[in-house]
Amino acid sequence: MASVQKDPILQVETTCGSLLFELQIIWDEVGETETDRDQMLLELERECLEVYRRKVDQANRCRAQLRQAIADAEAQLAAICSAMGERPVHIRQSDQSVGSLKQELGRILPELEEMQKRKVERRNQFIVVMEQIDSITNDIKGQGELVHSEPLIDETNLSMRKLEELHCQLQVLQKEKIDRVETIRKHLCTLYSHCSVLGMDFNEVVGQVNPTLSDPEGPRSLSDHTIEKLGAAVQKLMEVKIQRMQRLQDLATTMLELWNLMDTPIEEQQEYQHITCNIAASEHEITEANSLSEDFIKYVEAEVVRLDEVKASKMKELVLKKRSELEEICRKTHLLPVSDSAIDQTIVAIESGIVDATMVLEHLEQHISKIKEEALSRKEILERVEKWLSACDEESWLEEYNRDDNRYNAGRGAHLTLKRAEKARNLVTKLPGMVEALASKTIVWEQENGIEFLYDGIRLLSMLEEYNILRQEREEEHRRQRDQKKLQGQLIAEQEALYGSKPSPSKPLGGKKAPRMSTGGASNRRLSLGAAMHQTPKPNKKADHRHNDGALSNGRRGLDIAGLPSRKQSMNPSEMLQSPLVRKPFSPISTTVVASKANIATTTTQQLPKNNAVNEISSFATPIKNNNILRNLEEEKMMTMMMQTPKNVAAMIPIPSTPATVSVPMHTAPTPFTNNARLMSEKPEVVEYSFEERRLAFMLQSECRLV
Amino acid sequence: MTTVTPSAGRELSNPPSDGISNLRFSNNSDHLLVSSWDKRVRLYDVSTNSLKGEFLHGGAVLDCCFHDDFSGFSVGADYKVRRIVFNVGKEDILGTHDKAVRCVEYSYAAGQVITGSWDKTVKCWDPRGASGPERTQVGTYLQPERVYSMSLVGHRLVVATAGRHVNIYDLRNMSQPEQRRESSLKYQTRCVRCYPNGTGYALSSVEGRVAMEFFDLSEAAQAKKYAFKCHRKSEAGRDIVYPVNSIAFHPIYGTFATGGCDGFVNIWDGNNKKRLYQYSKYPTSISALSFSRDGQLLAVASSYTFEEGEKSQEPEAIFVRSVNEIEVKPKPKVYPNPAA
Repeated sequence: MASVQKDPILQVETTCGSLLFELQIIWDEVGETETDRDQMLLELERECLEVYRRKVDQANRCRAQLRQAIADAEAQLAAICSAMGERPVHIRQSDQSVGSLKQELGRILPELEEMQKRKVERRNQFIVVMEQIDSITNDIKGQGELVHSEPLIDETNLSMRKLEELHCQLQVLQKEKIDRVETIRKHLCTLYSHCSVLGMDFNEVVGQVNPTLSDPEGPRSLSDHTIEKLGAAVQKLMEVKIQRMQRLQDLATTMLELWNLMDTPIEEQQEYQHITCNIAASEHEITEANSLSEDFIKYVEAEVVRLDEVKASKMKELVLKKRSELEEICRKTHLLPVSDSAIDQTIVAIESGIVDATMVLEHLEQHISKIKEEALSRKEILERVEKWLSACDEESWLEEYNRDDNRYNAGRGAHLTLKRAEKARNLVTKLPGMVEALASKTIVWEQENGIEFLYDGIRLLSMLEEYNILRQEREEEHRRQRDQKKLQGQLIAEQEALYGSKPSPSKPLGGKKAPRMSTGGASNRRLSLGAAMHQTPKPNKKADHRHNDGALSNGRRGLDIAGLPSRKQSMNPSEMLQSPLVRKPFSPISTTVVASKANIATTTTQQLPKNNAVNEISSFATPIKNNNILRNLEEEKMMTMMMQTPKNVAAMIPIPSTPATVSVPMHTAPTPFTNNARLMSEKPEVVEYSFEERRLAFMLQSECRLV
Repeated sequence: MTTVTPSAGRELSNPPSDGISNLRFSNNSDHLLVSSWDKRVRLYDVSTNSLKGEFLHGGAVLDCCFHDDFSGFSVGADYKVRRIVFNVGKEDILGTHDKAVRCVEYSYAAGQVITGSWDKTVKCWDPRGASGPERTQVGTYLQPERVYSMSLVGHRLVVATAGRHVNIYDLRNMSQPEQRRESSLKYQTRCVRCYPNGTGYALSSVEGRVAMEFFDLSEAAQAKKYAFKCHRKSEAGRDIVYPVNSIAFHPIYGTFATGGCDGFVNIWDGNNKKRLYQYSKYPTSISALSFSRDGQLLAVASSYTFEEGEKSQEPEAIFVRSVNEIEVKPKPKVYPNPAA
């Protein structure tokens, strides 16, 4: 090879030498001057130099380019490595060039290519992840199929760590997406159940929230906005549901009341049982489809309206029924029933449509419950009264029996009568105690309730009083009879002494019936009492006078009570003088005396209740103020009650057995179950306060101090 | 018998800064509504132990209750009856009493708010027509004395007042009490709560005693009533008696918790007349108790109730403890030969 290389140079040299030689020959021939020749040679040499220089420059430039290319490739490699977060594979040993530049370049280039290929791969991975992230973000943000822009990738950072970060981000987003899908599914479920209960079209409701939701196949919108709207829709339906539920429950309550009122047969109720059973259900318990739909509510409403109509038509019947119920209770408890004319007026009023029958009915019902309550409190005393009355019957029987002179004749069943008489005598000895106990019980009751205890419209206390008087009177009579008998005996003895004959035994008082003590059966007890008074052997003028007592409303009472003082006077006038009319105010008096004293002290019946109240309260040593306050309170309560009911209705249904002036407000007087004595003892105490009241007072005080 | 558990339960952060007058769990979630003397009503989410809202009033708040999960009612010393909408922070004034209002209840059966006040009245309100006092008030019912405590079950309302009166109403006919009673305890009434089954009520007094009463007036039912002593401490032969501030019935088992000024919470089985559990002593008096809707949680307000006047005291705290079934499940009497 060296020879091959040398050859052209040798050739060039020979060519140069031969050309110079040829030139010298030419010059010789031409006869050029030496100077020209020198000049020419110099020129030739300069041109040659020029050519050399140019070539050297060229080679130099070429080398620089090569170096540049290597440097570029290395730089590129380094950049890619750093972007991918890897250590560069190729590190040039510090300036110790391994071989020529071209070799070096040849080594670097494939490396570079390799790295570039890897970079592209990595980049593609990034793009895939980023695209997924973008699509989910889009879903969540709810932009739907908006601009699908190429994801922006930071070319300088394509490291694995970054990729992992992106993967994490993607997972978080995916999880969120699943959560959202779940939330939406839950909302949709709730919505569906609400819709089915409310009888609404689920698809329509959902379509209003977001049209994508009603499409079971296609993608659903997952945006915050959608979820929010869905939540709102659920809330709204829930409210509607609660509202309807309350409405249905109201209707069901009304229905139950109507059934109850009209005694609707079970079969008819059965049809609506599934409604009324939900009456106390709470919102989440109602899940049956269409159980709150508008149609269903309308259907129930229609039934209520129908029942209402039926009720309206039956109203008169109902009022009468209630009224008979009321009368029955009154009869059982010996309360005075409502007067017939008033109820007839009410019925006429209902028929003419002046008053609403429901009002009357309500009023009647209230009345019944009130009377029931009263009856309960009266029960104990009534039982005693019954006992007393039966004892009275026995007593009067005994009276009759004693008067029968043939009572010891042995006849059929005589041993039974004897036994009965023995028992009756026993009973009679117990009677005064019984009466006393009953009287004190009654007084306590009146004290507690603030009204008089009426038995079939008569004050029980006056009945007892009267009984006592009659009893005393009868003892008097007995005494007199004994005296008379004695007298008669003497007379007979005298006659015997005179005429020597003995008259046949005669009944001493045969023509003259003794006063009957009998208080008779329950129905005409009052009358028999009254009759007893008429039949008194010594009717006095005052007794007659009381018949003329006009006041009809208080007539019965006036009659009985007015009778008492006169009786007292007729019986034992001196006793009245002994008992001082003027008492120390508020001094306690024994209960039995109270009533009679009050009676003595008062001449007109109008004053009686008031005086009575004062006396009786004083016997319990309580300030009157209490009672007045209580009464005022009750009056207020009554006022509010009256305001709630139309006045004409209230007027038409009189409260039975008590005159309106005093007793009405007292009707609702204190608790039937209270122990009176205990209440009384607590009243005068200092006002009690709860911890909270004390705390508030303290708080306000300290705030004041601060100000 | 006296099993004492080591922990008092989880304490809520951000408690009220002055006496806790009442607390109640929601019927739908684990949200807790708390009223207090620092003039605020607070709403907590117990499951995350976070304060969800705080509402400032014009005076000490004496009682509060939920309407639904989004709103509630509160009453207090500024005579006003409020409806609070939680997420908006809006409040409507339903109306006013003439004196401080002691208690508020919401009847889901009647859809009415019922308030009891020291002005000796009970008032009913319709929260739906909240456009002015003329519209919202349904009725005013005079009471014999200042109202101290109220409780509802179904359509029944029990009102306990000063002077030991107890009035029982039917919400459908408020014009008259269905029954008027006197407390069978001799001392001032502290708290009254109806049985969840609606047959009666429990009533506690300031003198460590609780009476179990029945609505039914028949002799058979009345024979079942009784009273028992609790929240007492025997020291050197003398009984120290504490007021019983609060009663809370378990919604499922019908057993109940009582809280007293001795700082103890006891769980009782009323039917079998047994004490089921006593929790460890809390820092100060128990002012209020509430079971969550499923009875799994019991909120306990440990807060001085002013029983001894103004004095230095432990800070207010609300504890929420998870309730074990064994602590609240009734234990029927053990028969010698159990049926196979």
